[in-house]
Amino acid sequence: MITISINGKEIRLEKPMTVLEAARSAGIKIPTLCWHEQLEKYGGCRLCLVEVEKMPRLQTACTLMVADGMVIRTETGRIADVRRGILEFLLINHPLDCPYCDKAGECDLQDLVEKYGPVTGRFKEKKRKVPESLEDPVIVRNMERCIVCTRCVRMCEGVQGASAIAVIDRGGHSHIEPFSGGRFDCEYCGNCVSVCPVGAIMSKLHRHSYRPWQLVDEVETICPYCGVGCTLVVQVRDDVIKRVVPKLGTVVNNGLLCSRGRFGYEFVGSKERLTKPLIRIASKTHDASRVTHNEIFREATWEEAISFVAKKLEEIKDKYGSDSIAGIASPRCTNEDNYIFQKFMRTAIGTNNIDSTARTGFAGAQNFIENIFGQGATANIIPGLSNSDSVLVIGGDPTAINPILGLQIRACSRKGGNILTIGKVKGLRFFNPVSLKPVLYTETVLLEGIVTALRERIGLPGSNPNLEAGIKDINISDGEIEKTCGIKGNDFTMFMKILSESSTPSIVIGKELVQSNSGNYKLLLIAAINYLINGRIYLLSERANEQGLLDMGCAPDLLPGYRPLTFAEFRRKYENSWKTSIPDKVGFSIFEMMDAAKEGSLKALYVMGENPVFNLPDARSVEAAMKNIDFLVVQDIFLTETARLADVVFPALSWSEKDGTFTNMERRIQRLRKAVHREGMEDWRIISEVSKHMGVPLNYSNPEDIFNEVSKVSPLHRDMTYEDIEKGEAVYPYKGEPLRGVSEEIKFQVPSSKFQVSDKKLYLKLERPLFHSGTLSTKAPALVNIYPEAMARISPDTAKSLSLGDGDIVRVSTKIGSLELPVSVDKELDNSSVLLSNNFEGKGAFSLMEYTLDSVTKAPCIDYNEARIEKVNI
Amino acid sequence: MEKILLKNIENPNSADINEYKKAGGYGVLPKAIGLQPKAIIDEVKKSGLRGRGGAGFPVAMKWSFASGDPKFPKYLLCNADEGEPGTFKDRPILEKNPHLLIEGMVISGHAIGAEYGYIYLRGEYPVAKKILNKAIAEAYDAGLLGDNVSGKGMKFHLAVHQGAGAYICGEETALIESIEGNRGQPRIKPPFPVNVGAFSMPTVVNNVETISNIPYIIENGGDTYSKIGSPECPGPKLYCVSGHIEKPGVYELPMGTSLREIIYTHCGGIKGNKKLKAVIPGGVTTPVLPPDKIDCLMDFVNMPKHGSMLGSGAVIVMDESVCMVKVCLRILKFLEHESCGKCTPCREGTGWLRGVLERIENGEGSKGDIDLILSVSDNIMGKTFCPLGEGAASVVQNFVKHFRPEFEEHIKDTGCRIHDKKHASCIVHHES
Ligand SMILES: Cc1cc2nc3c(=O)[nH]c(=O)nc-3n(C[C@H](O)[C@H](O)[C@H](O)COP(=O)(O)O)c2cc1C
Ligand code: SF4
Ligand code: SF4
Ligand code: SF4
Ligand code: FES
Repeated sequence: MITISINGKEIRLEKPMTVLEAARSAGIKIPTLCWHEQLEKYGGCRLCLVEVEKMPRLQTACTLMVADGMVIRTETGRIADVRRGILEFLLINHPLDCPYCDKAGECDLQDLVEKYGPVTGRFKEKKRKVPESLEDPVIVRNMERCIVCTRCVRMCEGVQGASAIAVIDRGGHSHIEPFSGGRFDCEYCGNCVSVCPVGAIMSKLHRHSYRPWQLVDEVETICPYCGVGCTLVVQVRDDVIKRVVPKLGTVVNNGLLCSRGRFGYEFVGSKERLTKPLIRIASKTHDASRVTHNEIFREATWEEAISFVAKKLEEIKDKYGSDSIAGIASPRCTNEDNYIFQKFMRTAIGTNNIDSTARTGFAGAQNFIENIFGQGATANIIPGLSNSDSVLVIGGDPTAINPILGLQIRACSRKGGNILTIGKVKGLRFFNPVSLKPVLYTETVLLEGIVTALRERIGLPGSNPNLEAGIKDINISDGEIEKTCGIKGNDFTMFMKILSESSTPSIVIGKELVQSNSGNYKLLLIAAINYLINGRIYLLSERANEQGLLDMGCAPDLLPGYRPLTFAEFRRKYENSWKTSIPDKVGFSIFEMMDAAKEGSLKALYVMGENPVFNLPDARSVEAAMKNIDFLVVQDIFLTETARLADVVFPALSWSEKDGTFTNMERRIQRLRKAVHREGMEDWRIISEVSKHMGVPLNYSNPEDIFNEVSKVSPLHRDMTYEDIEKGEAVYPYKGEPLRGVSEEIKFQVPSSKFQVSDKKLYLKLERPLFHSGTLSTKAPALVNIYPEAMARISPDTAKSLSLGDGDIVRVSTKIGSLELPVSVDKELDNSSVLLSNNFEGKGAFSLMEYTLDSVTKAPCIDYNEARIEKVNI
Repeated sequence: MEKILLKNIENPNSADINEYKKAGGYGVLPKAIGLQPKAIIDEVKKSGLRGRGGAGFPVAMKWSFASGDPKFPKYLLCNADEGEPGTFKDRPILEKNPHLLIEGMVISGHAIGAEYGYIYLRGEYPVAKKILNKAIAEAYDAGLLGDNVSGKGMKFHLAVHQGAGAYICGEETALIESIEGNRGQPRIKPPFPVNVGAFSMPTVVNNVETISNIPYIIENGGDTYSKIGSPECPGPKLYCVSGHIEKPGVYELPMGTSLREIIYTHCGGIKGNKKLKAVIPGGVTTPVLPPDKIDCLMDFVNMPKHGSMLGSGAVIVMDESVCMVKVCLRILKFLEHESCGKCTPCREGTGWLRGVLERIENGEGSKGDIDLILSVSDNIMGKTFCPLGEGAASVVQNFVKHFRPEFEEHIKDTGCRIHDKKHASCIVHHES
């Protein structure tokens, strides 16, 4: 116990801390500028100087550690004078342009001067002049206002781990500059913007468009982009989102955001948003991309559109049966939207034909892993990653796919943990990874080798006979690894030493693994590794509510609460609650829907908040399939590629315009809140209306109502309330029952033939960029400014062999199509890959990718598309 | 007095390992390595040796902190940054007697348990760099550095790390940052380098001159050493004397030689028999002394009693032709330029002081300006992160204290008398 006194108040402390922390814990405010709770101590601004008895010099409270018996005074006349003196120093070169500065009103410097009083008129020299830098697309730099507290630099380096900015020059010329000069060309997390106490580094998005004190509303909600589920505060004025900021102390992202979360909100106010229901007037054979939407659709009233849809669906159901209709749910919609959607499909339509793009990887992989380890095996706490003593990453770059999770891996490395990667993981390359890079298509051999080596080092624990049966015969020697995968023995030994000796390991799995050749077998091997090292699995999730929609039962074989449909007992329970019968036949997966559409047996498709024509591989054949459907209903916020083919389009309210909940990849349920008002209906309401018109009323007055039903019927969500969620208590396994004891035998398929690869060939691979997510982000101008167009990324060698340089236009072709786009030379890329993202309209990688379905996970395998590149002369 | 630090430097080949050995160099090394580290530290303690980098910290105490820290590896860093204007005392050791330093480092390394040493060398010492690198190579060849020093199984590696010209990198924690490849800025203390230093490991930083005393101490015993010079801080001291002096140069004299003796006895008095106007006794940031204050003993204990400090022992002598405002301005220009920018008072205050001084010197000063610079200095004093910024405030305070009429005159006469008469003579040659 340490006892100190601050301003006469006795404070008892359990553990050593700084005087500042001690003061804060006792509610005593000491002014600070360079200190920030998320950052390393600095001691530069000198504003926190305090008097300590028996110490002749003033001490900085932010750096001084308490000692027993210390007597501290924080607000004496002498100290006020000192602080006034320091503030004077900070202001002598300051432009004093507060009336013009966006920070005014929430500026720490302004507040402190207001508190201690200004000293004016003593500085007669010339002020330092530095022009404001507007060179960057999203960050404005005004170095005249900079007080060189280095909070931004410490954030970028010590927390974000991007090390993109630094203090340049010395003394009075010190200022902050990105290493690349004018543009930041960084990860654009904007976390430097968050910590700047003054108006020196600010977002360009809201520049000169509002005053902080004029914000009408601040709403705490969840980010719409990825499965991490960061808390954001949306600041609103006149029903327009002015700014999105993070909040300190929130569990998932504690004051941090990534580029998408922070700068990606402008899609909400986009002029391209749909406003009225649309009914098709043009024939479907039209090439939809060539005509304006007025030529395809006419506007309709809600009443007309809803009753039209209800009538058509009834007709089709009567004529071809319930199973001729299918629905696609949305990982961008709330749990409530998705719950209603599956209930509608199962009750009003009477089919289990409901699925989503979660089928492209997440759903199958999770199912596979849970089948081995039990439900909830992937529900691990994200910040826990930083406390692991090693993190193994495979199948993607977490720092791009789930950036805030990526930061936890970087933090793990900083705390002394080991980072192990299989394949190239660009965002972790400066974090001392032990990296194994197997030759193309030999990952399976490497994983088998790891399992072999672990089995030898650790032995089989015997607790999971099913899994052990699957791996007992695997035997790949170090020599074979070296020969087949091209991995040096030493590297492998080092990797294995770390992996086998770690006591709190985590494994992070990206979708690339699931979408690769023999995905299920690789998952089995990863599961085996996890089993042998006793690790925790994190399954990267690219969409905000991918987990939630599965838990809500938006899958052909699952009922809400992640209950298998095939168990009559579960079905009966839902039949009782819903007072209707549920078909026992497992419905179509999203890919089976497309097949059925192609061969004509699928007559109607209802798509809620999804864009399969763009977001499914082999997009062109998906488009053909869609055109073959008699009646297509699309509910969306934009007129997407899919919506353009629809018979009826409903404009939906978007994220931040509605209430509800999301379930993140940790399976934490969090509240999404309405921040701006817009005319229209939420997805669940539109569906309820259609259902009502079909004679199956779904009567809910608000999302909470719906959630209350979920917590009544879903054993997993039993007794959960919005109140629990708001208190942050909705953490897996909630108060409910996870599914136990129904795990089947482990199904997997050992690959029969090895892929024939030639190093002369190029393969088209999917880029998952940090700055984009689906097509949503391409409606956010800031993100488009950062990453403006689709690019084919190639290695320097590939570029050289074709005499290509950055920006040259190439034609990328595969068996099923070709696209013309600029190239970008990427040092980190291997010579066998061309990377292309699937974000930009008309330029999506999926339009060039064929797929085969994995026999177990049912996920598409897309890693074998051979590609050609040729220069296009213009 | 027998020369210890500058022994043999008249020999044109004094930097050569064979010449050094011929004069008895490396003679004590095998014995020293054979001693228990504690025995070496005890001997140094007996000697009363204090650091020669400026602060005069007891060497044995610093060493025992580092040697007592259980973390490994430990580092020994030799501070050869010598960046303060007027200071050039380490240079003769670096250029003429590098093996003395190397021998001292090996013994010091053994004492604290460091296996790695760096010499952090001033960026503007390219000649010393060549000589040091050659000497280190010779020592490696002779088995005096490496994994098995003198065949005694002791490991000690040594390399030169050259700075890039920042004065602040002479401050020990900034020096460590710089060695680690970071921006040269001082670090928060505690933790002190002896516990968390280079690469977060226990680290001793000692000045070139400090370390060069070690072989003598081990060879002749701490007691013998402690009898040289001032009893409270014994040993030989290198005084580097520059300015308006007949015989400028580096003088090895007993610690505690009086300033007057240094100037008039050893250096032959003021150049051209002019009148003495002021002396800066220990490098530009130590308080300036007027002529009536030079009967002080130049050591760590006595100088503070006379209102100044020993600092690095860089004596800068100024005759009557010198404008004190201009000297003050020149020093402020240096400190403004060298401020690392980490803390507010120094970053902003040095520039402000320089600005006002510039106006005064140029005859644009106004009435309240002297009070203003005193007040600004007061706002810096005691509030900076490291001593550099405070040094700037102290310079202004002391120049005004001793030469206020000259400042007033500048303001009244709207200009500099001396300057206008083209008698301007800038003592501090450091072009920014
Ligand atoms: C601004 C500043 C500059 C310094 N420059 C030097 C220098 O050039 N050489 C040096 O030996 N010590 C310098 N020091 C002192 C060092 O911080 C440190 O005290 C010294 O290297 C310790 O060695 P010693 O104990 O052997 O004196 C400087 C200190 C400050 C505050
Ligand atoms: S936006 Fe993020 S990555 Fe870019 S400079 Fe700021 S903190 Fe660093
Ligand atoms: S830009 Fe802002 S955060 Fe960065 S050093 Fe300047 S004032 Fe501090
Ligand atoms: S006083 Fe402050 S700004 Fe000046 S050199 Fe020291 S730390 Fe840097
Ligand atoms: S807050 Fe303590 S020095 Fe800046």
